[in-house]
Amino acid sequence: MKREVRIKDIDVLVIGGGLAGTYAAIKAKEGGASKVVQVDKGHVGKSGNSCFGAGVMHVFFPEQDDLEDRIRRLARSLGYIAQQDLIQEYLEDSFEILNEMDTLGVDFVKTAEGEIERRPGRGYYPIVMFRGFQLMDAMSRVARKRGVEQVNKVMMTGLLTSDERVVGAVGFNLLDGDFYVFESHATVVATGSTWYKGLLPGQRDCTGDGYAIAYRAGAFLSGAEVNDQLTNLMPARYDIGPGMNKYVGEGGIFLNSKGERFMEHYNPRLKERAGLRILATVFSIEAKRGNTPIYMDMTHFAPEQVRRLKEVLPLAMKMFERVGIVESDRFVKLVEWMPCAPVARPGLAVNSRFETSLPGLYVCGEAAAPQAVVTGLASAATSGAKAGKYATEYTAQEGTRASPVPGQVAELREYTFKPLQMKDGIEPDQVLLALQEVVIPYNVLLLRDGERMRAAVQEVEDIRDNQVPFLAAYDPHYLRMAHEARNLTLVAEIQMRAALFRTESRTALREDYPYTDNKEWLQWILVKRGDKNMELKPEPVPIEKYPIQVQRSKTLHHLWQTAQNRGIVTLEGGKVKWV
Amino acid sequence: MGVRRIDVRLCNGCGICIDHCPMDVLRLDHTRMKAYIKYIRDCQSCFLCETECPQGAIYCLPLHERRMVTAW
Repeated sequence: MKREVRIKDIDVLVIGGGLAGTYAAIKAKEGGASKVVQVDKGHVGKSGNSCFGAGVMHVFFPEQDDLEDRIRRLARSLGYIAQQDLIQEYLEDSFEILNEMDTLGVDFVKTAEGEIERRPGRGYYPIVMFRGFQLMDAMSRVARKRGVEQVNKVMMTGLLTSDERVVGAVGFNLLDGDFYVFESHATVVATGSTWYKGLLPGQRDCTGDGYAIAYRAGAFLSGAEVNDQLTNLMPARYDIGPGMNKYVGEGGIFLNSKGERFMEHYNPRLKERAGLRILATVFSIEAKRGNTPIYMDMTHFAPEQVRRLKEVLPLAMKMFERVGIVESDRFVKLVEWMPCAPVARPGLAVNSRFETSLPGLYVCGEAAAPQAVVTGLASAATSGAKAGKYATEYTAQEGTRASPVPGQVAELREYTFKPLQMKDGIEPDQVLLALQEVVIPYNVLLLRDGERMRAAVQEVEDIRDNQVPFLAAYDPHYLRMAHEARNLTLVAEIQMRAALFRTESRTALREDYPYTDNKEWLQWILVKRGDKNMELKPEPVPIEKYPIQVQRSKTLHHLWQTAQNRGIVTLEGGKVKWV
Repeated sequence: MGVRRIDVRLCNGCGICIDHCPMDVLRLDHTRMKAYIKYIRDCQSCFLCETECPQGAIYCLPLHERRMVTAW
């Protein structure tokens, strides 16, 4: 029998140790919350996406940038189904947050005059740069100094509720297996997005845990089928990344198996510097045409270019050296390149106060629906700051405090430790592998088609019904892996069902619905746990209330148009046919 | 192959690598006060342990530790 550790009287409980969660915790303290507890299954500041960020922040500089243009670009990257009010707020807040982080000790790249410098990166506006791990080291130190209690190595497995109000969470310790009960007044979910533990080192601890616990507690999730990023692209056979932005910036080019520099055909102006979504989709089209493998060619880089890359990407360049791709400051081999697993963000639906559909539960960073919070560290910080502030305001309201429903803790404890009782069950690795084989192939979620996705849903259901219930764990480490496999299976089901529900091509291409339909589909898809099954429903985007408008028409998606112009596809009966 | 070596002559048992590993791969041998690689299959080759080890005792390789399912 494992010990039960109960931490009571928490004002604001933050789940997740990245930048969004850390900012929420800092702002909760600033707002007057006396007991703020931040929990991470790894270590606050050393887990998730934030600490591996490639040194890039997208900040709006009020005196240099055009606000409306920046909103337009972000709204477009979300296929115009953005919550534009929140996007605008993030942009407006980002400059102040940047300066605050600078004051708090984050080491940004600066000019000789000591001003924070912006340099060109991918995207239209120049970017702010920071130095890798230092950002999260500084921010988590600030949180500790302000009195945030950080609890590490505890994985959360469920939310405590009273009626529909969230009043805490439970989890277990990865080292000793102790059961943790956190009783909180307000709770903030900041657990990031997920990439199904696929390619992309530094993100395999992001397993949609926040989505899963919120879904099970009855929260509305949204945005599973859309995102501003479809995926990233990485070296295919090594765990090296990220850094593509810098390689293509130095003149790295992509070659397909025929030796063609294919990006010239799809985006003659930007070529390899095209947006991530375009690159991922074009790679998938090339794969469909049998033109794989695809390589990044950097063999023409001069030694001074390689030395420059070593300055900005020391870790990635060390990795390339270790596997013999870089020798004596030259790339001596082509590097096979590939899209990573699809990003999944069935985020918690939020309003402008970062409240979820469950009272007492707040969300920030990539744990929020993608239409509300765009990918990236600046929006993680601004949304974290807001969620921390509003969560703290909630704790000051009367009548919002409650105790968990009797019996709930015991029930969640049994659920949490069940895999430890399964002596003859299935190892988490098997379940993960089975799931990855369904969701990662490019022609399921990167290049979509109804028939293929319906088959994939059936396979996910099969894993859900015939493998997940039998997940077994030998010890608390394996228990974590078991819960991760379970959570990812749920995320896959949500993402796949939402992708099927959206019968158009918007942020991702569908072969059976190649048109972008701004007459019918300026809608979000909301997902909720039903009595028996998952429930999905559309909700109109109130676009008329927003600054950026879009023409209400139905047009062939521009990438399908390009493919048609190139003679790769034709349209038959409103569907795409490959030539 | 992710984290491949923790040099027992250099390791001083400080435990930083164990605390900071995002994938919970490492453990401390409390009798010898040495870190060791316990759950290698879950290593994500992020190099955080190698980067943070104050003794320079850890060596990583950026190769997949388990079968990596890829886009094609």
